[in-house]
Amino acid sequence: MEDQHIPASLFDCPVVESRPVGSYRLISFVAREVAALARPGQFLMVRAAGQSLDPLLPRPIGVHELESDLVKILIEPVGRGTISLAGLRVGDRLSVLGPLGNGFDLNGEGPALVVGGGIGAAPLAFLARALSQRGREVRCLLGFKIRGQAVAAELFRNQKIDVYTEDGSMGGMGLISEPLPGILAEMQAGGPENAISAAGDSSDGAIPADDGETGVAGYHRAAEIFACGPDAMLAALSGIAGDHGAKAQVSMAAHMACGVGACQGCVIRTVDGYRRACSEGPVFAAGEIAW
Amino acid sequence: MKASLHTSLGPLTLDHPIINASGTFDVIEADRILEADLFSDFPFAAYVPKTVTLKPRTGNEPPRLYETAAGLLNSIGLANKGIENFIVEDLPRLAELLVPIIASIAGESTSDYGSCAELLAGRDEVAAIELNVSCPNVELDGRALGCDPERTARAVSLARAATSKFLIVKLTPNVTDIVAVAQAAAAAGADCISVINTVHGMALDPWTLKPVLGHTSGGLSGPAIKPVALRAVYMVSRALDLPVIGMGGVTTAQDVLEFLAAGASAVAIGTASFRDPLLAARLPGELRDLMEIRGISSIGQLSGMA
Repeated sequence: MEDQHIPASLFDCPVVESRPVGSYRLISFVAREVAALARPGQFLMVRAAGQSLDPLLPRPIGVHELESDLVKILIEPVGRGTISLAGLRVGDRLSVLGPLGNGFDLNGEGPALVVGGGIGAAPLAFLARALSQRGREVRCLLGFKIRGQAVAAELFRNQKIDVYTEDGSMGGMGLISEPLPGILAEMQAGGPENAISAAGDSSDGAIPADDGETGVAGYHRAAEIFACGPDAMLAALSGIAGDHGAKAQVSMAAHMACGVGACQGCVIRTVDGYRRACSEGPVFAAGEIAW
Repeated sequence: MKASLHTSLGPLTLDHPIINASGTFDVIEADRILEADLFSDFPFAAYVPKTVTLKPRTGNEPPRLYETAAGLLNSIGLANKGIENFIVEDLPRLAELLVPIIASIAGESTSDYGSCAELLAGRDEVAAIELNVSCPNVELDGRALGCDPERTARAVSLARAATSKFLIVKLTPNVTDIVAVAQAAAAAGADCISVINTVHGMALDPWTLKPVLGHTSGGLSGPAIKPVALRAVYMVSRALDLPVIGMGGVTTAQDVLEFLAAGASAVAIGTASFRDPLLAARLPGELRDLMEIRGISSIGQLSGMA
């Protein structure tokens, strides 16, 4: 979604922190250039440095957070690549290619609803912070299967968060598609103080909330959704966003090999045909995806 | 003693024997995305762009990639913009490269090979043409045209009739007798043989136990297939009096050394570049070191030592 181009390079990075966050693992490594350049929603091709041929290829991992010259990633150990990455300890080295991909477009206005599902929440902490720093009103809605994953919500510091688990072991119970319409309506209706600012903002797509949908008098503000998670969640979210007149940007996941547009392996089905998640994404407007 | 890495493939002179495998390196995209200036500092001795076909192809249903033990399965399905767009959009830019361009073409029928070769025949930017008769991902049964010596020969002779350019024929290992297919290609006018394309394979999703790839079956590449490729290079180079380009699982300078010793005149790397984007830039120096410690002074001396 962002057009401004940032050149990527290959780096060899020492791991300086490796700790469990529930069933995930948080890995921090020194990568000054990446930390200086990366934008929310961009990803890195990451593998354990060294000669071992199994796992063979790096994995595309979203940037979870940046802190001075440190880059943080959150790993869910589910396959040969991520299990290897989750096994990294302080002093080990990572081969890192990046930053790659377009990242989220942060240039919109109005309230931002950040929606994550499972490990898809990982890159959204950086995003939520960046949106807050731009003065956007930010609310986060994070869904997980179980409490062991949902504890990762602690990584979203200073954010207004609603957490849901499928088994109800933490936060609300159910899929995020259940509370999403209500939260969206609430944000778009805004409070009395918001109604004033929204009224002065009518050129930005604000429309009167006289359709009865929100049940709140005053002005309707267009919210913008930023999401990353399983395809089924993103598809449901896209429909709900459409129903509420909210724009949505979704970060799509795909298996990748090259990460730089060569192999055509990571394509996403869009309304304009297949497009590469690596070099044309991973962030797309929800309306562009052929769900 | 200083070893020389210079080599040649017919009329192509190469600074060193390492080139890229088609479809694994897109110099235009990589130059846009990466910090490195790849046009002035190109790591390969020749450039093989992704295979193009007469008409654009959207490629196969995703997922198209899955990593297996020391290997990569793909079912891309020759997604490409079509040869006419390639000629208009890409060739002028590729002409900026300081190395020879080996255009790679494939057909959905034997006659497509003649048509594509004819479209490239007058293009001075193209130093050589690779006929990809071996993509396993075009039909579900993976029966590439290159599985049949007669159809291979027909495709090669149609291309031969259309151009005098150096013709490389890239073969599939998914046959009973690869030497028979190579001989058929040679008899039909091939100048050079590339072996191997990917090996048929499939993988199941560990949870659903259904095929992972949208196309069910795909082509295996990476270190897992190196012994299959090495044997093919050895057999084909011994049976034919044509230069051979070796590829399939080449990951280290030692692998390059072995493929040359097995009879290759040049060696292509593919999947290994995904693992390490700087590999190609390092390999020539590492290969020279391996030659020098063995007292080998030239690629000619090394070629066919096995």
